[in-house]
Amino acid sequence: MQGDFYQLLKEQGYVLGMSGQAGVGQALTTATTILAFKYRDGVLVAGDRRATAGNMVMYDRTDKVLEIDRHSVMAIAGVPATAYEMVRILEHSFKYYRRTQLQELSFEGKLRALSKLLKENVPAALAGTGAVVPIFAGYDAEQESAKIYFYDILGAEFEGVEYAVSGSGSPTIRGILHYVNTWGEQPLSAMSEEQAAVQALRLLTSAAEFDSATGGVNREAGLYPVVKLITPNGVTAMADPHLRSLFESNVSKGS
Amino acid sequence: MYEEPYRWVEAVGNRRQYLDAQFAQGSPVVGVSCDQGILLMTMSKGTPKLYEIYDRLALGGMGHPADLEKLRFTLLEMAHVEGFNRSASDVTGSRLIKYGIAPVVKQAFEEVFKAPFIAKLLLGELGQKAGKDGFLTINYDGVFEEKNRYAVLAASSSVEQRMVEYLRPQSCVSLKDAVDLAIHAWAIGDRAQRHTDDTGGDPKDGKGSSDQPVADSQTLMTHIRQCMQGKSIECVLLDRHVAGTSKYRTLGSGELETLLPKDLSSALT
Repeated sequence: MQGDFYQLLKEQGYVLGMSGQAGVGQALTTATTILAFKYRDGVLVAGDRRATAGNMVMYDRTDKVLEIDRHSVMAIAGVPATAYEMVRILEHSFKYYRRTQLQELSFEGKLRALSKLLKENVPAALAGTGAVVPIFAGYDAEQESAKIYFYDILGAEFEGVEYAVSGSGSPTIRGILHYVNTWGEQPLSAMSEEQAAVQALRLLTSAAEFDSATGGVNREAGLYPVVKLITPNGVTAMADPHLRSLFESNVSKGS
Repeated sequence: MYEEPYRWVEAVGNRRQYLDAQFAQGSPVVGVSCDQGILLMTMSKGTPKLYEIYDRLALGGMGHPADLEKLRFTLLEMAHVEGFNRSASDVTGSRLIKYGIAPVVKQAFEEVFKAPFIAKLLLGELGQKAGKDGFLTINYDGVFEEKNRYAVLAASSSVEQRMVEYLRPQSCVSLKDAVDLAIHAWAIGDRAQRHTDDTGGDPKDGKGSSDQPVADSQTLMTHIRQCMQGKSIECVLLDRHVAGTSKYRTLGSGELETLLPKDLSSALT
């Protein structure tokens, strides 16, 4: 198939994921809360920054909302080693396609590329050593709209028409999102950039309250969630000082 | 019969003559470094001749489209596999050309029973800082050269020499300067190639072109305007200021209009 970077890697002997024995009793680095929802100007994608292995907090500065290209983002939940590898493959695949075929890969093509990687990773996912449950969001230039998709570990893709969540903290915020979107002052899709960012901070703070594997805001260390915005102009990350200001004025109980 | 050393040398000589003639009608390529990045410029008839290779690498080529495509794909495969297996910082023009492309091109050129690559390449590499930009050129026989500030491709080395003589004393600061210099250098190269072709000069030594004086700016612009009736100006930029990892972008007609000399920008519309 022309312009297929993953095929090129496989021809050179590359194998994704670690298949084989189930990882019984092994504490793999995992757990997370990631979310994406449509707001007035596009899609907001956010994630906490904690990586855990069993009961241990491995790292508190993880970036789980990764830019694949100028118009798409993959938020990762699951085993980071496999998830980061998938992100690197996708990043190279999209670039390779654009550079060889002299045109952008379609949005559907990008979705399918991730689905294929997840399918290839099924043995590792079922063995318990490499399950990844991502959210893919991006701007579809042909349809002129921002879109959200979420996946299961087998590679099935589902469109999140208004929002999508994943990770161990997601059950908590899924209900909140439904409530806010249905009976809130305004639906998520009518929110401004600032309102959407405040909503994301509140949701992730709620997830951290009930899920020990989700990291909350750590003001002393200056650690805030990663929040990225996808609009027709591309992907932008919200800067920490801006998030701090929004958190202090709209989320913190002391405000 | 090519087993005899003399026959082999003769065959390679014939091949060189054949190849030199193949480039006579080609469009020169100019690469110029400026504050904003690296500009590559040529004129083409529909099919683009300037390409993105990797985050900081852009390619310009002369020759047969099928051979250019083959070499372009080889570069793309090498660059992306290297970038994935190691890192983007390890993908350098120097390694791609010296250890990747040059041996393949040289081997094809010297294997007289097989078809050589009818292609010359120019690779621009954007440095991390201004002043660290570089260029690599590779000839159809596998000979490569490293340059900084500017580099050119043309039908013969004497035509290239004329273009370089024009570029050498010029200072290039802004993108507008770079576009202006590239356009002038291209016109000098294209005129010299046509003169060589018309006078039946040997494209290899290019005697016909070296006798011809460098024309004034007005004449060069007139030449470009004439060329614009059948071809279009193609400019790409490895832009230091673009956000994200990929620095390559094409200069669209709107942007070119503001960068080209006035009498040419009016011819664009």
